[in-house]
Amino acid sequence: MDIRYMAKELWYRKRRTLTATIGLAVGMAILITMNALSSAYSEAARIPLKEIGADITVQRAGNVPENLAGPVFACSAVTIRKNEVDQIRSLPGVQGFAQALLVWVFDTDRFTIVLGLDPSNPVGPGVLRSQLTDGRFLQKGKNHALVEASYAKTHNIQTGDKVTVAGKTYPVAGIVDASRATKIAVAHIYLPIEEARKMAVASKQVQIVSPFGPEDANILFIKAAPGQIEPLTHSIKNIVGEKASVATPATFLKHLGSLFALSDKFSLITSLIAVVVTLLIVLKTMASNITERTGEIGVLKAMGWSNGNVVSQLAGESIIQCLIGGIFGLIIAIFAASILGFMQVNIPIPWEMSPTPHFLPGGGDPVFKVLRLPIHISWKLAVFAILLSTLIGAVTGGFLSRHIARIKPSEVLRYE
Amino acid sequence: MNSQNVISTTDLNKSFGTLKVVRDVNFNIKKGEFVSIVGKSGSGKTTLLSLLSGLERPSSGRVTLNGREITESSENELALIRREMVGFIFQSFHLIPTLSAWENVALPLFPVKMTTEQRRERAMELLRQMEMENRSDHLPATLSGGEKQRVAIARALVNSPKVVFADEPTGNLDSATSEAIMDILKHLHVDNGLSLVMVTHDLDLAGSSDRIVRMQDGEVVL
Repeated sequence: MDIRYMAKELWYRKRRTLTATIGLAVGMAILITMNALSSAYSEAARIPLKEIGADITVQRAGNVPENLAGPVFACSAVTIRKNEVDQIRSLPGVQGFAQALLVWVFDTDRFTIVLGLDPSNPVGPGVLRSQLTDGRFLQKGKNHALVEASYAKTHNIQTGDKVTVAGKTYPVAGIVDASRATKIAVAHIYLPIEEARKMAVASKQVQIVSPFGPEDANILFIKAAPGQIEPLTHSIKNIVGEKASVATPATFLKHLGSLFALSDKFSLITSLIAVVVTLLIVLKTMASNITERTGEIGVLKAMGWSNGNVVSQLAGESIIQCLIGGIFGLIIAIFAASILGFMQVNIPIPWEMSPTPHFLPGGGDPVFKVLRLPIHISWKLAVFAILLSTLIGAVTGGFLSRHIARIKPSEVLRYE
Repeated sequence: MNSQNVISTTDLNKSFGTLKVVRDVNFNIKKGEFVSIVGKSGSGKTTLLSLLSGLERPSSGRVTLNGREITESSENELALIRREMVGFIFQSFHLIPTLSAWENVALPLFPVKMTTEQRRERAMELLRQMEMENRSDHLPATLSGGEKQRVAIARALVNSPKVVFADEPTGNLDSATSEAIMDILKHLHVDNGLSLVMVTHDLDLAGSSDRIVRMQDGEVVL
């Protein structure tokens, strides 16, 4: 392959080179951007669960409380028995596991959402540790409470104060700003899970609707091994039964609805069209290039160039041309992605994961996690696009040049 | 074959379908000989040149080039033979439009293991002989017809061929330039002992050669 000859051919035949390069660049830019967009939506759907250090949450739907007095369970999160909890915890593919207890407490003077959590567990609501704005986090064995910042502000609660929930008083260990965290498992007051369990066990309303034992829970948070989310979901549903409400990133994607479905399906179709159109443009340009140069190829062969020399020269030109196109396509896609990165996405939180009772004012409003589209072009996608560009160049160049290299060198004399 | 011959043919025939273009050609060209092949248009002279130079395979008969029988050679062997033994000068010059004069001259050296600098040196040496040194970086489009043909002659000589084939080398040139190009060819033949086979329909030009071979209806006639 003569690099000087190749470079000059590409440089002096600018129109042809530009047609192929721009065609390929646009095709690759579409392919990269659409795939990055689709991945960004998938990534965005993962964020609500990721922020709580889990990939899966498990709840079980049940009956509505008979009477809204004292501690009750939301109908979307009733008892998950200890034996079920243990079975789920020991499933293959479970990398991290936490249990929690969500309790609505209807005291005479106020309504409180209480979440019992395991303070030492980094999976699940334990991640709130990083959202502490004042005081200290819960400690195992200490019957302290954490108060959510906006609730604390409304009720003028500060660290060191005391809060009374379901007739029991707890010293306030600290304040957490859960608004900056995920919308899942947001509560007014956070207690150690043992305390919340005691509250539930002692509640007549809880026991009537959904008998609860001292080691049961009603929300599970699971961190899955890579690629294990789907099989785990299946196994969990088998354990919890048909009323299981298992939320995974796919659940959020479903709630993203048509926008994601469109971008996901559209990206596949658009990518395919982009590759096919690109291939045709390159093929067409290369074919006209080769047809134009039949006489020239005859001269090269007359001068002693072998078929292999001709093929490597022409295929090399095609590869370089497509490689440049691929690089430009990548640059365009990076630019497009940086603009799309300003786009805001509202991820709807499924109603069953919303901790606020729907019958309270504002409780039925849709809850969204608002975030900027986390779009970025992965190095794998970039490398794939560049390799695909090179492959398109090699295939079209190789195919056409092998064909033309077979011409007889005596053809050159016919061009006289 | 006589070792004095650079080309030798035996019962050479070429047909395209039912059309016989070259019929039973038997002749030899000696080393250092300047032979003109003349004939009317369609007489088969260009096809004969293609057969002698290994550009085309005969339908039957044999061609021996510098002692080597080339009729049965494979495509790659023929490419190698042309690279090592043969130079071509075409009527339409056939320079690569995107390459400069020296790069065009160096083009046959591409498959040879040489550095770019070695190729350039060799090309410049020949352009100097053609008095084209100062035009070495020019593209063909900026050269006159005579200059283009001089570049083409340099290209034909760059691989030190045993024989140079010229197909109507002055066909696209005015008479003064034609004369200059013929002077170069004669000079190469006389001073360098180059074997030269020229196809022309111009009997005046053919007159400069050592021997004239006339073609008529595909046959060599005396």
